[in-house]
This record gives sequence, C-alpha cells and structure tokens, in this order.
Amino acid sequence: MLNSNTLSFKRNNMKTTHLKMVLLLMVVALVASCKKERDSIIEPQNKEATVNIKFDYVFGHNLLPWETYKEMVHPMTGDTLSFETFKFYVSNIKLKKADGSYWVDENSYYLVCTNCDEGRYITLDNVPVGEYIAMEYTMGVDSIMNVNGVHTGDLSLSNGMYWNWNSGYIMLKAEGRSPNSPTGTFAFHLGGFSGSDNIITIKAADFGASMLKVSTEEQANIILRANPARLWHGSPSVSVRSTIHAPGPEAKKMADEFYGNVSFTGIKYE
Amino acid sequence: MSRLIYWIVLVVILFSSCRKEDNNFSNNSYIDYNEWVKPSHFPEPVYTFDNNKYSREGFELGKKIFFDKRLSVNSSVSCASCHKQEYAFADNGMKISPGVYGLLATRNAPPLFNLVWSKSFMWDGGVNHLEVSPLGAIQSPVEMGETLEGILSKLNSDDEYRQMTKAAFDQNELDAQTLFYALAQYMSQLISSDSKYDNFINSNDMFSESEKKGLLLFREHCNACHAEPLFTNGSFQNNGLDTLYFSDSGRSRITSDIADVGKFKVPSLRNVILTPPYMHDGRFATMDRVLEHYSTGIQHSSTLSSLLPVGGIRLTDQEQKDIISFLKTLTDENFVNNEILH
Repeated sequence: MLNSNTLSFKRNNMKTTHLKMVLLLMVVALVASCKKERDSIIEPQNKEATVNIKFDYVFGHNLLPWETYKEMVHPMTGDTLSFETFKFYVSNIKLKKADGSYWVDENSYYLVCTNCDEGRYITLDNVPVGEYIAMEYTMGVDSIMNVNGVHTGDLSLSNGMYWNWNSGYIMLKAEGRSPNSPTGTFAFHLGGFSGSDNIITIKAADFGASMLKVSTEEQANIILRANPARLWHGSPSVSVRSTIHAPGPEAKKMADEFYGNVSFTGIKYE
Repeated sequence: MSRLIYWIVLVVILFSSCRKEDNNFSNNSYIDYNEWVKPSHFPEPVYTFDNNKYSREGFELGKKIFFDKRLSVNSSVSCASCHKQEYAFADNGMKISPGVYGLLATRNAPPLFNLVWSKSFMWDGGVNHLEVSPLGAIQSPVEMGETLEGILSKLNSDDEYRQMTKAAFDQNELDAQTLFYALAQYMSQLISSDSKYDNFINSNDMFSESEKKGLLLFREHCNACHAEPLFTNGSFQNNGLDTLYFSDSGRSRITSDIADVGKFKVPSLRNVILTPPYMHDGRFATMDRVLEHYSTGIQHSSTLSSLLPVGGIRLTDQEQKDIISFLKTLTDENFVNNEILH
C-alpha cells in the first residue's frame, strides 16, 4: 500500500510534505505510546508535603504509657509483661477529601517497629497540600502480597516478618519476657490472609471537625492510639499459651482485639 | 524521496519496537535459554514472569547461586548438594539429606523440575510461590542454617556476582528480591518434557508391548492423581502409608484441618526411576516396593484417599512390572544430562 502511494507522491511535492507531516505525527504518537508509564500530570500549583502517622502506645484500660523493656502488669491476665519486640504492618493508606475523592498512597506497605532506629512511625510522601476529612488504612498486609512472590522494602524477606514454611507475612510480632510464662519468654507471631484465619483488618479514621491540613509550612502528624494489652483481651495468660507461630483462631483472636482497638486520637502539627 | 523512505522506515521500526514480544511457544522440545519456552504439549504455567522478567543473564546468575555452597552458614551445602541434576535434582539414595554439620530434617528432598506448573511447594504445600520456595532451606538450621543478610554479604563481596547482578538486573548488588528472582529464573528452566513418553505422545517414538500395557494400567489406576502430562494434579492425598500420622501430619501442618492429616502433595512421576527412595519420608527404597504398597499395602485411616481401596488395588506381578516399564519411559535423559543446567 505504501509503495503505490509513494509512486503518486513522486509528482506532488505538496503531498509529500503532507505525508511527511503525517508520518512525523505518527512518530511522535508512537514514541509517546511506547513510553512505559506516562508521568502523572502534576499541576505546578499542586504542592506536596509529607504526613506522618505516629502511634501513641498505651497499656490497658487505664491507658498507662507503654514502651518496650518496661514491665507492665496486664489488668485481665495479671501477667507481668516486658516487650522486647513489637512490630506490625500497616498498608494501603488512603486520605479522603471533603468532596469524597481519595488520595491513594502508592505502594503503601509499612513495617512499624516501636523500638527500631527506623520505622517507628509512618511517613507518607507526596501528599497533595490541602484538607482531608478521613483516612482509610489496613492493619496487616493485604492478601495479594502474601501470594505473589518476593518483594522489596518493608516487605523484604530479610525483615524477619515472613514464614518460610507456611508462606505469608507475620503481620504482627510481639516478643518479650514474662515471669508468668513457663519459659520466661513470650513470642506471638500473628498472621493469616485467607479464610477464617484472615486477620487483615481495614480501618477508618474520621478526622472530624479538626480535619487534616496538609501544608508545606507545618508537619502534620496523625496520631493513632495502639494498646498492646488488647492482645490478651479474650486470650489466655502467657502461663497458658506463650507462643503463636502460625495462622489460626488463636492468632485471629489476638489480632482482632488489638487491631480493632487501634483508634484515631488527633492530629498534631509541628 | 530518500527522506520519505527514511521516515517510512522509522515508523516501521517504531511499530515493531512497540509490539510485545512474540510468543515463541514452539512445537519442538528445543529450549532456547535466552527466553522461556513452554513445551507445546504442556499447559500454561502457573508462574509468570510478570514481576521477574526472564533473561539469560538472570538464568546464569540463578544457576551460579544454585550451585554455591556459600548459601549455607559454614559454606558446606548448596542447593545442588541435595538437588543433584543426575537424579532429576533429587538426592539419590538418601532418605533424608544431611544439611549443615550433618544435621537431618524430616522429609525426603523432592526432585526439582517443571516447577513453574506447581501451585504449591514442599511435601505439605506450605510454600505458595516459586520465588519464595528456597527460603525455608536457606533458613532452616538443619538445612543451610544461613540468614539472607549473611548470604547477601558473602555473595556481594564477590566481583563476579556483582558483575552478573549488574548484567541481569541492572543493579550493583544482589538484594533479598533479586537473589530469589535469579533462583526462580534458573528453576523455571528445569523443564523435563523430553522423555520417551513425550516422544511417544508426539508420535516420534514407539512403546514396547509392556510399556503400552503399563500406560493403560497407569491410566486406569494412577492417572487420577498423577495426571498427564505433568504426572501430578498438584492435590494433597493420603496414600495409605500409615494408620496414624503422629510423626508427620503432612498437609494439616499448614491447614490445621484434621481432614488433612496424613495428606502429602502428589509428586510428579516424571524421572521417578531416578529418584529413590520414595514417599515423603523415603521409606520405600525401590519402585518395586512402591508398587507393592499400592497393590497390597494400603493402610486404613480416616483421611485415606477415596481413590484407594483399603488393602490395595490388587495388581498382579505382571501388571506391576508393566507399570514400572511404563514409568521408565518417563526418564528424561536429555534433561538430566543437559550441560546448560549445570
């Protein structure tokens, strides 16, 4: 087809120029379509800022300040518990605007570690400046990332938060010492992403009247209260069970009670 | 005019560069290691290379890792120590293969091939993805006893690894993702599809009378679980080895379901003659013993496969011999002797 066309264009320079233009446009269009991903269109006036999500740890219904290596007596089981490790995953964070639309955090998987150098809190990058009325987030790692191979960053297999014999993420790891445990220690590795063992919990935080104001002038910190004592709200003393190393109803009970109690308490600006 | 041709050529080149890669699923059994090719008589694979783009460089890197003893804590055990190519990547003759310091795990090292068609891994199916399948052996204190940090630090201090990682993944060092990506690329090419059986199916080879009889018997008694062409349907079955399963509860270790006690993953029977001893614990030293078990040794338990009658399927001696004749046609000499794989 092109051959027969080129013959007729030989006698018509104007048409040749036209064809060149058409071909040039095709080249441009093809180059554009060949690009793997188009850069998202960012209007220059749409500034971005970071937002932190920080955890305020309390222990028991008296909301006593909690931290690792601090001996606390559980109000229900009576166990004396000193945590040495407390890590958990938070994923799929979305911020809701007043118009009902969402800003969705891309590749949103965070391993929160209460006493690590890094990962004590979550930092959301590139949040568009503006006001937000609510947040959606997931306690745990969504099921797809538990079944589609190896990942990087906070989901890396080298974080010690993955079961090699029963594929899936340890979504919450609570380890420490207790004189009430027969072994003197406790280790609760909670996970499970399918069926009745699924502990993944989608949560919502309504910012209420205060709203989340994201600006480049002030650092916004969303505060979530987390109460590690809730792990034993409905689960027995460490004298009865001091370890969990697999998904199952015991893990689900502990995770549900802890996750269910995580709650939004306010926004701090600094 | 020549400019016009130039533009036309440019457009054509751009069009062709925009096309997705051709599906080179050819009809011959020749494997081009520059890409991953599905044998024509095999189903679509479970493992896709969506996140882990296959390349010859990735394959070569994975092969180097597979044979590297530095994967173990005292540099004494590689993947290939227990998964030997000459035995279809199983460990011939070993009930339980020794790990570091001669320590022993509890189950027989399975052969490794046709892994991209597997929905789950390990005897109990506890591992759900090809990429994470080496992790258990690496971290188990009785297998390799090493940490990912330890392995990465050892391998990344080796210039050859750094160069190969650059070539395969365009990054300077291996990390906890590319280590497994490379191994998966290598393992994806452990394809056994070129046995006498395959040639018979593709009408390129003849079966003896005994082999033919064996095939018919196989299709009557075995094929429900050991389904062609992979010779496994990937299911979990209790094949009547014991009446109680205290020492190894099998699949129920993963599912916590009492209905799965004593069930293990149905292994492929390709290359089975090369991979004694048999069963998850390697209790049967020979294929004769296996046939004897299915014929007269099936033990009753509450989770026994409904396909197996208590007492056994009562095969005559000749029938057992014919089935073994057929099973020998599943040995893939081209696979176990393929120099590119080692």
